[in-house]
Amino acid sequence: MSVKEENKNPAETAVKEKKQVAAKLIPVYIMGKRYEVPEGLTIMKAMEYAGYKFVRGCGCRGGTCGACGTVYRKPGDYKLQVALACQKTVEPDMYMAQIPFFPVNRAQYEFADLTSAPEEVFKLYPELFRCVACNACTKACPQGVEVMDAIAALKQGNIAEAARLSFDCIQCGLCASRCFGELAQYHMIQLARRIYGAKILPRAEHLAEMVGTINEGRYDQILEELKHVKEDELKKLYQEREAEPMVAGEDWKPKDTRYL
Amino acid sequence: MSYLGYPDFFEPYIKKVEQNRPARVDKRRKGEEFPFMSLEERQEILKHHPDYKEEGKREIKVGPNKGYRIAHEFVDLLEAKSKVDPDKVDLTRADYGTDVLVIGGGGAATIAALIAEENGAQVIVATKLRHGDANTMMAEGGIQAASKGEKDSPYYHYLDVMGGGHFKNDPEIVATFVKQAPDALRWLENLGVMFSKFPDGRLDAMHGGGTCRKRMHYCADLSGLEIMRTVRDEARNRANIKVLEFSPAVELILNEYGQCAGALLYNMETEEYIVVRAKAVVLATGGAGRLHIQGFITTNHYGATADGIVLGYRAGVPLAFMHTVQYHPTGVIFPEQIEGWLITERFRSEGADILNVHGEKFVNEREPRDVESARFIKECLDGKGVPTPTGKVGIWLDSPMLDILHGEGRVRTAFVGKWKVYNRLGIDISKAPMLVYPTLHYQNGGLKDDDECKTTVPGLYVAGEVTGGLHGENRLMGNSLMDIVVFGRIAGKNAAIFAREKAKEGKLTLEHVKRYHKELEEAGIITDRVAPMLLPDYTRPEVKEKQLTASYLGTWR
Amino acid sequence: MSLAYYPGCTLKTKARNLEEPGIASLEVLGFKLEEIPRWNCCGAVYSLAEDDLIHQVAPIRNLIRVKEQGKDKLATLCAFCFNTLKRANLLMRENAEKRNTLNSFMDEEIDYGGEVKVVHLLEVLRDEIGWEVLAQKVKLPLRELKIAPYYGCTLLRPREIAIDSVENPTILREFLEALGASPVDFPESTRCCGSYQIISNPDDISEYARDILNSALSHGAEALVLTCPLCDYNLGRGQKELIKKHNEFKEMPLFYFTQLLALALGLDSQVCHFELNYGSPESLLREKDLLS
Repeated sequence: MSVKEENKNPAETAVKEKKQVAAKLIPVYIMGKRYEVPEGLTIMKAMEYAGYKFVRGCGCRGGTCGACGTVYRKPGDYKLQVALACQKTVEPDMYMAQIPFFPVNRAQYEFADLTSAPEEVFKLYPELFRCVACNACTKACPQGVEVMDAIAALKQGNIAEAARLSFDCIQCGLCASRCFGELAQYHMIQLARRIYGAKILPRAEHLAEMVGTINEGRYDQILEELKHVKEDELKKLYQEREAEPMVAGEDWKPKDTRYL
Repeated sequence: MSYLGYPDFFEPYIKKVEQNRPARVDKRRKGEEFPFMSLEERQEILKHHPDYKEEGKREIKVGPNKGYRIAHEFVDLLEAKSKVDPDKVDLTRADYGTDVLVIGGGGAATIAALIAEENGAQVIVATKLRHGDANTMMAEGGIQAASKGEKDSPYYHYLDVMGGGHFKNDPEIVATFVKQAPDALRWLENLGVMFSKFPDGRLDAMHGGGTCRKRMHYCADLSGLEIMRTVRDEARNRANIKVLEFSPAVELILNEYGQCAGALLYNMETEEYIVVRAKAVVLATGGAGRLHIQGFITTNHYGATADGIVLGYRAGVPLAFMHTVQYHPTGVIFPEQIEGWLITERFRSEGADILNVHGEKFVNEREPRDVESARFIKECLDGKGVPTPTGKVGIWLDSPMLDILHGEGRVRTAFVGKWKVYNRLGIDISKAPMLVYPTLHYQNGGLKDDDECKTTVPGLYVAGEVTGGLHGENRLMGNSLMDIVVFGRIAGKNAAIFAREKAKEGKLTLEHVKRYHKELEEAGIITDRVAPMLLPDYTRPEVKEKQLTASYLGTWR
Repeated sequence: MSLAYYPGCTLKTKARNLEEPGIASLEVLGFKLEEIPRWNCCGAVYSLAEDDLIHQVAPIRNLIRVKEQGKDKLATLCAFCFNTLKRANLLMRENAEKRNTLNSFMDEEIDYGGEVKVVHLLEVLRDEIGWEVLAQKVKLPLRELKIAPYYGCTLLRPREIAIDSVENPTILREFLEALGASPVDFPESTRCCGSYQIISNPDDISEYARDILNSALSHGAEALVLTCPLCDYNLGRGQKELIKKHNEFKEMPLFYFTQLLALALGLDSQVCHFELNYGSPESLLREKDLLS
C-alpha cells in the first residue's frame, strides 16, 4: 500500500502528514482519564490521537449525522456543555464523554393516514404535555436549535412553526438525554416536519403535471432516439443546448420548445 | 490577532478579494459570465485531474475486470483476502432468514427497503454504522429533476447527465433516470420532505455545474439530511423492516443455483459473524472516500470504504467507470478543524466567484466538477493559489457576494449550516470568503448493473454510489441524491419480485470466495491484506508500536 | 396602541372562538394585541405545592419574554392562563428566596422580579377603554339577549389576583350592559365548574354542570357568558347526555365574552367561529335577530 508516498503533488494534502508535528500538547480527560493531545484537534481526532478506534460515536465526521454527541465540562464551571465530537476543538482540562445511544420512545404511525390537525401529534405523543419549559433541551442542542420553542409550538398546535424551528435537527438525541419530562423531542419534531412538508406546505403542482406528462409517454420516443444518437452527434446537441441564464427569473422560457 | 476571523497572515490576500468585489458584483448583475471552456479546452485541463495521473493506478490482476487500470487503493482492496476463512463458516444454520436483505444504511438502502416492503417483502437492513450515518446525510446541494414543463424536460436532463459524464454513461440507465426523476421527487414530497418552495408550492430550483436548466431542487442547505431523516423515519414505521446496526456484510452468500441468497455479516461489537439467508439482496453500501485515494482528504463519512465493490466483485460482478473518482472542487482547506469539509456547489450556483491569490477570476464557477477541480489544481500548480500558514494552498470562494447580490442575510439564511460552523470558528462567511481546495468526494463508478438494477448475479441488485454507469466518468451535482431515490426504488421493487417469483431454496455457499482466493494465488498475489476494510485506521504508528499484544487484521484490531 | 398578548395553547387549537373575535374586536377598539415571541404553555394549573418550583418555570419564562421586549404589561384572554401567569408573577415579586432560586435556575435568561403587570382582557375593556366608550362603539346592541355571567374561579380566586370583588363581581354584568344585553344574575355565577376533576370524575362533573346551568335557566337566562375554555368544556361537553338523561334539562348556549363583543361591535360573525361552540348559539342569535 505504499504508492501514496510516491506521487505527491505539492498542493495535495496527505492524510498522514496532518499536523502531528510540533503542536502544543494539552491535557484532556476522556471519560475521566487524562491524555495529552495536540491543541487544535477536534474531540474526535483527539480521541483517535489518544489511541481510541471508533465503532460507535463516529459517523459522517462532518457535523450532520448526529452520531458523535458529546457532553463535557470545563474545570470550575458547573455548566454541562454539549458538542459534536467531530466539530468541537479540544480545550485544556475538559472532561468529556460521548453519548452514542440513548433510549427513547418513538410512536409508530401510518403517515398517509395522518392529517395536519394538531391533535395527531397530541395523540401519538401525549407526553408532549409533560414539558415544563425547563429548557434543558435547547441548552443540550449542539446545533443551536431552539428545541424548547419547537416543543412549545407543538403544544400550541403550530406544526408549521415546530417544523421550521427544528429544521437543523440532526437527531443526535442529546435533547432527549437531558429532558426533565422524558420527551423524545427529536422524534416529535421529525413528525412535525413530515406533516408540514406533505400536508401543510402547498404541493408542487408543476411536478405532478410533469409526472403526468411522462406517464402519458410524451418523452418515450424522444429518449429512445437520444439513446441511440452517436457520440459526436450527442456532443453537438449538448453544446447547442440553450442555457437558462443564471440571473433568469422564474418566468424564463426557452426559445426551442421541441423537446418540452 | 485576526482579520475577519482569519489569522493576520491572510489579511493582504483577503483585501485583494475585497478590492475588486464591487466590480465583480457589478458584472454578475449584468449577467456577464466568465466564459465556459470548449470541450477541447476541458480535455486539456483534465490532464491535471488526479484521474489522469497514470502513476496513481495499476492493473487489477484478478476477477471479471482483469487488466483494468484503477486507483491503487481500489486494487489493494480487490487483491485482498476475505476477512474470514470461508470453510470456517457454518452455512447450514442461518441466524436470520428474510425475503430481502438490504446491505447498507444510507439513502439508497433505506429507500430500497421501503419499496421492497411495500411490495410484500420481509426486509432486513444490515448496516455498518447507525442507520442513516452515510453520505446521503451529508449531501447538501440538492436533487435534480426536470419538474418544470414550461422550460425543462427529461431530454435536457439527459443531455446534461451525458455531458457531465463525458458522453460515456450507460444510455439506458440515464434514460430511465431522467424519466423517473420527477416521480421520485414527488414520492419524497409525499413522504413529507420539506423542499424549499415558493409560497404557491412551486419548487425552488437553481443551476448546478453542467446544467442547462435550473432543476436543482433543495431543502435549504441540508437536502441530504432532510431526505435521509425522512426516509429513515418512514422505515421506522414499518414493522416488516428490521435494521441490524453495526453489522456490515463481509461476504455475499450465493446458493447452489448461483443466485445471491444472503450475506455474512460481522457484528462489530461482539465480533461474531452472522449468517443471513435471503431470497434476494440489495447491495447499497455507498462510496469510498475513506480510502483517501492519492492521499486526498475527503468529504465522506467514516464508513465510506468501498465494501460493496469488494463483495460484488468477489461474487463475479464486473466494475464500470472505476477509473474515475470525483474530487469536489470546494472542500475546506483552512481552518484545519474543518479541513476536507464540503462547501456546497450552491454557493457558486447562487453567484459566488472563484478567485486566485490575486483576487482574479480564472474559471467559470459552473464547469462540471472534474473540470472545475482540475482547473483549481492547475491554478495552484501555476503558483497562483492562496497560501496558508500551515503550508497548503487554496482557492477563494467569495461567499460575501451573495449578501450583496441577493440581499443582506442571504448567506446566513440560505446556508445556515455552513454559516453556523464557520461562526463557531470565529469566521462570518457573509463577510469573509472561504478558502477551498478539491477534496475526494464521490465514486463515479462501481458495480456494473442495468436500468433495472440487475447485476450478473441473479438475485443481486445494486443501487446508489456503489454502482457504475449512470454518471459515466463524472457525476453532476444533484444527481447522486436523485440516483439513490430512482434506483433505490427500482432495486427494492425488483428484489421483492425476485424474492417472490424467482428465488430458489438451495444450499448456501461461499465457494465463490474460495475460488477468488485461488485466483489470487494463481495470479501470484501473496498478501496479508484483507477486505472489506469496514473502517479506516487512524491509529497513530506511535500508539500501534505500544500495542504489544494486539494483532491487526487489515485495519481492524 | 399595541399591547403584549399571551394567547395560550388552547386558544390556538380548541378555543379559536375565544381568541379570534377577541383580537378582531380589540383592533376595532384601537388596541393591537401583539403575540409575544417564543411563548410557552403557561403551565395550565398553578402549582400549589410550596416546593414545586419547576412548574413555575414555564409561566415565568413567558413573563421574561415580555420584559425582554421592553414592555411592562401582558394581556391574556384565557382566564386559566391569566390565573397561572399572574400568580407566578406575584411569586416572583414577593418571595425573594424563590425568586433567586428560579432566576439562578434560568441562568440563560435575564433576571426577573415580577416587573410585568398581568391583566385580563376584561380589565383592559374596563380600565383602559371604559364601559362608556365601549357602549358608544356598539353597532349591534344585544337587546333582549338574556345572559348570565359565569365567572368560575380563575378570574377571582385567590383574592390577591382577583380582577374584581371576590364575593360580588360585577365586571361581566357591566360588560354585558355596555353591549346592550340583559344580564341575568344567578347565585352559581362564581361557583367552580369542576375544573380538572373532569379527567377523573366526568360523570360527577356533568351533574355538577347541570346544577349551574339549571340555576341560570331558572333565573331566566337564555345563555351563559364565559372567559375560560375549561369552563366551556365542563359546562358544554355533557349537555347532550344530560338532555337524554333528564327530561326537564334544557340546552343552554355558551358564549365566550369575546364572541359577544365582536357581534356587538358589528364584526363579521365568521370571526366568532360559532361552529366551535357547544349547543346552538347561532339559533338563539337568529331568534333575536342578532345574526342573519
